[in-house]
Amino acid sequence: MKRFLSGNEAIFQGAIRAGAGYYAGYPISPASEILQQAALYSEEEPQFRFLQAEDEIAAAIATISASLAGVKSFTATSGPGFTLMQEALGWGHVVEAPCVFVNSMRVGPSTGMPTQPAQSDLLQIKGGSAGDYYPIAFYPNSVEESFRLTVTAFNAAEESLSPVILLADAFLSHLYEMADLGAIEVEVAPRTKEPLGRDQRLFTGTAHDKLGNVKTSDPVIYREWLRELRERHLRVADKYPLYEYFPCKSSETLLIAFGITSRIISPLKERFSIFRPIRIYPVLERELKEITQSYRHIIVIEGNDGQYASWTECAICRKVMRVPCLGGGFKLQWIQSQIEERLKGR
Amino acid sequence: MIDRSYKELLKIRRFPHTWCPGCGIGAVLKNVAMGLHELGWGSHNTAIVSGIGCSGRMGGYMNFDAVHTPHGRALTAAEAIKTVRPDLNVLVLSGDGDLGAIGGNHLLHTSRRNSDITVFCNDNEIYGLTGGQAGPTTPKGTKTITSPRGEIFQPLRLGRILTAQAPYFYARTTVYHLNHFKACIREALLWKGFSFVDIISDCIELNGRRLGFKTAHQMFKWFDERFHIVEGVRDPLKEDELGITKREVEAEEVPMGKVEVKVEVKHEDLKTFTPEELRHFDGADAKPIFVGYKGKVYDISTSPLFQGEKRMRCHIAGKDLTKDIEIAPHGEDLIFKFPLVGRLKE
Repeated sequence: MKRFLSGNEAIFQGAIRAGAGYYAGYPISPASEILQQAALYSEEEPQFRFLQAEDEIAAAIATISASLAGVKSFTATSGPGFTLMQEALGWGHVVEAPCVFVNSMRVGPSTGMPTQPAQSDLLQIKGGSAGDYYPIAFYPNSVEESFRLTVTAFNAAEESLSPVILLADAFLSHLYEMADLGAIEVEVAPRTKEPLGRDQRLFTGTAHDKLGNVKTSDPVIYREWLRELRERHLRVADKYPLYEYFPCKSSETLLIAFGITSRIISPLKERFSIFRPIRIYPVLERELKEITQSYRHIIVIEGNDGQYASWTECAICRKVMRVPCLGGGFKLQWIQSQIEERLKGR
Repeated sequence: MIDRSYKELLKIRRFPHTWCPGCGIGAVLKNVAMGLHELGWGSHNTAIVSGIGCSGRMGGYMNFDAVHTPHGRALTAAEAIKTVRPDLNVLVLSGDGDLGAIGGNHLLHTSRRNSDITVFCNDNEIYGLTGGQAGPTTPKGTKTITSPRGEIFQPLRLGRILTAQAPYFYARTTVYHLNHFKACIREALLWKGFSFVDIISDCIELNGRRLGFKTAHQMFKWFDERFHIVEGVRDPLKEDELGITKREVEAEEVPMGKVEVKVEVKHEDLKTFTPEELRHFDGADAKPIFVGYKGKVYDISTSPLFQGEKRMRCHIAGKDLTKDIEIAPHGEDLIFKFPLVGRLKE
């Protein structure tokens, strides 16, 4: 049945479709609706467990622990909460706990501008916790796609045995659109983690060998472990090379935008080519290289001061132009004038 | 012959362990294992969660599925595991710095939610693994490497905090008072709800030697001087007492709000007013204000708009207001709030 629903609701419904059995969260705009729905759903469905934690640190730790205990679990937050969750995100990668972290971005840093939309937590996906880790992150741009990608995120989590990040923004979380979630067919990956209480394993955040013995002074074991982690993540990421590309034959300029920005600039399809990465991290290196080589100008339009632009530059070894939409201001006219300005005299 | 069958719960193949000779953690590990073995708990029905620090390594030496969490998060992880898997017995093995300082918030809230987990806190009154810094339970005046002139703050009274709100189970014991220690472990394991055992333990290498003790045994003797065992259930437990304090549920609170009593008034018993009698109650000379409405008389003396006044804008006290209220901007429900005092004679 077609229904009018918000991005947050679609994310929650996606998680339920993927088989989630646990939600832990802490109220924060613009992700609180997911928490509210989890509370309501746990009343109806006693198999679904829910915790309103005392802070985001606890919420994230509870999400990962629940995953180790034996259910698919997820949490949702916004930028400041995601900062507190970084500790658990690093831990989740070492103890190999499949789960999903939803981050509905708002203007930062710190409390920032509650609740204006932004896309400024890209670097936080991979750079917030100590050490090297290789998370997978997706970013939808419509209500229906939020539903699909939530399921994809759960699948990728089960395959990569790690937390997967689903990005959204304040705009998308509160965007209402018609969608028929029941009619959407999705593939759901089975549970890959053996639950607790079956064995004598040790899940530790300390460096360890394959048997779970703590090894804190052996570089060989550590390198081997990190190589395996990276390879596993890249292999799973390769399964989901998600992007959208709208070529415009008459254009010499490629616009790169994702999430809500890509929705806003979609009227420019007639004049410019548009590339929308859906898998935000690991960066779609191969696809970017291939597509960008036929364009003279590349402009990255995003709700931050050039975070994806710098990743693009690294990936394609070429300078790109940037249009940062800061402070929650996403106006098509303004973006258009900025593009014209960048292209003037070129 | 001494029964050593509890050793099947320990990963003897990983020995020698990481702790210093004379450390109290060995005694905690052994006695907890013996307590579990007595109850017949094993890896099939029990999960161990541990925090960071020397005491956090206990999980790795036990033949159970063990989760070694980041600093301070053991309680949250244990709560999530217990929520998802109520069939498992969940134990937390951690230290005073981990539970009282960095995980203090989680201690407050996990105990408030009365999650059914058992916590064994190896309380050595110091940060041992990091080199002997003052901890949250370090007694006032103790010299440590971060309090060279003696600790200036009061220690955290875990016993007082955890017993502030029923239900609770808090036991204080030491590694020296062995029989008492064993009894506390057993009672805590069998307690339904959140139970906390504060085990006063020694750290000879990084705390004891600085305090002038030559051996661990001298520290044990010091515990014997400082503490004495009290029989039965004491509430509250004094700071120099070893014992158990527990309470199942809080006595039912008397609701503080006003109790509304609605008295059904039979219409037949009511006094009948003639219009002349009604006119008498117009609020003048501290008389009550009565008005008529649809054949009934209401006492509207408590109305803030009518008080002490004969009339309020268009409504006149001591009059039948049936027609007035029909044309008034408000509905008749306003008048039903007031007590009915009589009937109006036609």
